[in-house]
Amino acid sequence: MPDILSAQNLRFARGGKVLLDVPSLTIKRHQTTLVLGQNGAGKSLLLQALHGLLTLDNGTVNGPQRPAQRMVFQRPILLRRTAGEHFRFLCPNSEDGLIHDWFARANLTSRMDVHCHALSGGEQQKLAVIGALASQPELLFLDEPTAHLDFESTDCIEGLVQDARAAGATIVMVSHNRSQAERLAEHILFVDQGQIIEASDSGTFFAGPVHPASQKFLAHH
Amino acid sequence: MDFFDPFYIAIQLLLSPDTELLGIIGLSMTVSLTAVFVSLLIGLPLGATLASFEFRGRNLILLVSNTFLGMPPVVIGLFVYMMISRAGPFGWTGILYTPYAMMVAQTILVLPIAIALSKQMFESLNNEYDPLFRSLGISRTNRIFTLIIEARVAMVTLALFCFGRAISEVGAVMIVGGNIRHATRVMTTAISLETSRGELAVAMALGIVLLAIALIVNIFSQSLRTRLERVTINA
Repeated sequence: MPDILSAQNLRFARGGKVLLDVPSLTIKRHQTTLVLGQNGAGKSLLLQALHGLLTLDNGTVNGPQRPAQRMVFQRPILLRRTAGEHFRFLCPNSEDGLIHDWFARANLTSRMDVHCHALSGGEQQKLAVIGALASQPELLFLDEPTAHLDFESTDCIEGLVQDARAAGATIVMVSHNRSQAERLAEHILFVDQGQIIEASDSGTFFAGPVHPASQKFLAHH
Repeated sequence: MDFFDPFYIAIQLLLSPDTELLGIIGLSMTVSLTAVFVSLLIGLPLGATLASFEFRGRNLILLVSNTFLGMPPVVIGLFVYMMISRAGPFGWTGILYTPYAMMVAQTILVLPIAIALSKQMFESLNNEYDPLFRSLGISRTNRIFTLIIEARVAMVTLALFCFGRAISEVGAVMIVGGNIRHATRVMTTAISLETSRGELAVAMALGIVLLAIALIVNIFSQSLRTRLERVTINA
């Protein structure tokens, strides 16, 4: 499978501490890659670096241009507008019928005219996800999109992600939820102390992780 | 003067305002609202730009703007007077001792406030939305436009603050307007004149009228804030 994104010599340090150190990384096209690791391991930092949101000390990232890549943040960043207006901001060229379809897929039809900040946490995150998916990105970054969400919202978001993957998108998603990773991942990147210490296909990783930190992670999840 | 005299006179003035008082109130509002409008027209995009981007000359703009924040209104009045007096570089405009000169002076007074407050307001918004804007790869113009729309509710408070500063100003408008009856007399210069005449009750009454105007403007802006919070934006 061809690569959709490649990165070399990524390095990011603050206060004398190296927070990200990735000599080389490739993301395969049409694959769901899950970035796993403990809290503070550098997963979100890696995602931001790959999406071009981080001003790195060193390194290059080659991937698709915007709007072919999109990102959903752990805490949704929402405008001070209604859900429908926010969606239109994210996808300015969407037709009304298409917008209704996306809201229906996320069970948000009745919430279209509600102010974004009056939506529940799950609804906000679903809005962020459909806003990102509606532009049909080639590459979608998701930074723990289901953290702190209930089962129903998690299920809905996972369904949307799987549909996007089936439609040909490449997904890179951060999670520290083992069962979620087992459900969604085709490829695993395990991050510890800012470094990718294990990269393998999902089956191999869950069958027998090589690195002690990965083994410890799986033992506790 | 009885302590309550100013209140009686103020009530009388408010209940049966004469043509001259209405003219003074009208001119005060026109001059101050125009100055606030022009200041916001320039200050908001400039504040948003200063908050969002690093560019050559940014620090110079901030330095000049912040210096003008601490400038006494009389000095601004004097500066404008020198610029538009017959010997000044803008003497050809012939606006000295006209409401236009007062508008210019009040704009110079209010603009640094509009820039400083809007920069602060937009900085906070920009920090919140920066990852989203960068992720979407939106243009600089679109970023500034979006920030201004998102700040619509806070902007009413900013405008109100600027209006309060403009309408309560006396020194600069006195110098460039000349406090000419039926031409450039506004509330503050009228208060100043009555005080100098020893008509303290009338001066205080005019002050109460000014306060009543501020109250009406506040009620209006409060209602505007509520409306803007519910406003629909078809972006």
